[in-house]
Amino acid sequence: MFSKILIANRGEIAIRIMRACKELGIQTVAVYSEADRNAPHVQFADEAILIGDSSPNESYLNIDKIIDAGRRTNAEAIHPGYGFLSENASFAAAVDSAKLTFIGPSADSIRAMGDKAQSKIRMKRAGVPTVPGIEGIESLAEFKRAAKEIDYPVLVKAAAGGGGKGMRVVNTDSEMSESLEAARREASNAFGDDRLLIEKYLSDAHHIEFQVLGDQHGNLVHLFERECSVQRRHQKIIEESPSLLLTPKLRKEMGEAAVAGAKAVGYFNAGTVEFIVDPVAMKYYFLEMNTRLQVEHPITEFVVGLDLVQWQIRIAVGEKFPFTQKDFSQRGHAIECRVYAEDPANGFLPSTGKLLQYIEPRGPNIRVDSGFTAGNEVTHFYDPLLAKLIVYGENREVAIQRMQSALKGYVVHGVITNIDFLQDVLAHNDFKRGDVSTRWVETKFNWKPSEPSFESLIAAAIADQTIINRQSSITNSNGPDPFSPWKNPSGFRN
Amino acid sequence: MKIIFDQSAIDLSLNGKNYKAVLDNKTVDVEVIHSENGKVDLLIDGKHIIAYVSSDGAKRWVTVDGRTFGLNKSLNAKQRNVSHEHASELVAPMPGQVRSVNVKENEMVSKGQTLLVLEAMKMEIRIQAPRDGIVKELMVKVGQTVEREQILVKMENG
Repeated sequence: MFSKILIANRGEIAIRIMRACKELGIQTVAVYSEADRNAPHVQFADEAILIGDSSPNESYLNIDKIIDAGRRTNAEAIHPGYGFLSENASFAAAVDSAKLTFIGPSADSIRAMGDKAQSKIRMKRAGVPTVPGIEGIESLAEFKRAAKEIDYPVLVKAAAGGGGKGMRVVNTDSEMSESLEAARREASNAFGDDRLLIEKYLSDAHHIEFQVLGDQHGNLVHLFERECSVQRRHQKIIEESPSLLLTPKLRKEMGEAAVAGAKAVGYFNAGTVEFIVDPVAMKYYFLEMNTRLQVEHPITEFVVGLDLVQWQIRIAVGEKFPFTQKDFSQRGHAIECRVYAEDPANGFLPSTGKLLQYIEPRGPNIRVDSGFTAGNEVTHFYDPLLAKLIVYGENREVAIQRMQSALKGYVVHGVITNIDFLQDVLAHNDFKRGDVSTRWVETKFNWKPSEPSFESLIAAAIADQTIINRQSSITNSNGPDPFSPWKNPSGFRN
Repeated sequence: MKIIFDQSAIDLSLNGKNYKAVLDNKTVDVEVIHSENGKVDLLIDGKHIIAYVSSDGAKRWVTVDGRTFGLNKSLNAKQRNVSHEHASELVAPMPGQVRSVNVKENEMVSKGQTLLVLEAMKMEIRIQAPRDGIVKELMVKVGQTVEREQILVKMENG
């Protein structure tokens, strides 16, 4: 086993990985940027190395600085988390050359799957169904011609991409120019590669992905599906496992396709094969493979009972699986809600600021993977994910009720969050029936924030009267908590 | 004592050990069981309410029963009206960097047209014309970093 691992990430995922390390008795090294000096992931690690300015290019995306931090701290392995450098083949190769172990698949597998155009061609060859589309074209005229051929609406997306970045839905010929330009720019910024491909946009499809896990001895299993159709701006906000849509037959077929696809690129470690599923024809198509740990991995951990991050580490060390496919089954139901600092009433624009209050829910089968505490600053430098709230229940109904109750106990002040929005999605009949496609939020769910309730206005007035007003008459230099919104804690009755 | 949040005025008066609160012609009795940093524990007409309340200048964050509301406290009853009929200023919805400026000064633009593009948190945010009009003044350049609420473009009705 390794004795020390560097985690090349921040926020909730850095902490989640450190937890696995601690459980396995492994020392942890955090890296951080200027903006993250006081971040929980820095405090949670055994050692922490400042690697640069707040801009990701100067810190979390800087390969040399991260490898240098690994060398200086004598780390034996580097875990990339998700996002940032996790799917960067050059990074994986650089880690190898520095005689450190990259906790993930081989650089070759990352390269093969990272290029969305190349991976589609490989999957077709491996017999995995893919979305109709055209790869390897460049000019506006070519894209327009291709779009006519496969019929609007189409999707233009980054060949090097993932995570909803560098992706645009194009509905008509006249939108093509602006969309191509925007997708190119985003692709270039996010991945340093502005090549795009085009494919048919299936407007009413479900996004269903399969977790795969392979050791370095040729064993590869799938750990069933995650239903991720509740999305906004092509990014997931609620995920669950199992999916209501899949029949046992389709589940088996897709699981086998996921394993075949991963095997075609010699895959080992944790990965996710994403499919889109046409709910009418009940047909599935390969979308892409994410060659890393996925944000929503905890729902799989609940349903199959495996710790995926521990296994990522064990696989990297060279351990052989003590299990085979038939040892796994899905038990109960798990749901994840992504709690974002964003304003659902205003185009889901990210919201920044200092967390004045931050209270997480607790209870049986409630898990919160978070990267913030009260007093932390949510900045515009990084992804606005505050935390993931994951619940488990014996069936879907129980899991939904548990999630609704857990969300009620979540208090975040200082930034606008999507908590109320999530609550209203969970309560919607379409969600209850599992009748939600990837475009449901933008086309069917016409969400409006509720007006301040009578009780909330009365409570705010009372708080003003009993606490806030008193603050001004008292010197506020000796408050016990420097981040407290109010310096005077005296109760009304005292 | 009158406390005004946005369009709602709450009249609070002491009534023995409790408060009498009037809002929208509805009168309730409020007993404060406990109040501490960021949290008040109340009986409103006998119904138990736990509310989390934070303040940041005039801004209030209130969470009751899992719902969070943002309120703005008015210092006096007269609301300032800042929106003009004929001119408007478009401000940055959040801090970020100007990716592109798609229009020139004195250019006629139509409602919904993208005037400039900001990048923040790795996303593109399009600043669009709220109505048909003329770009009166461009306040920012490509590459410039902007703060939240910073004025980006001044527009005039066409």
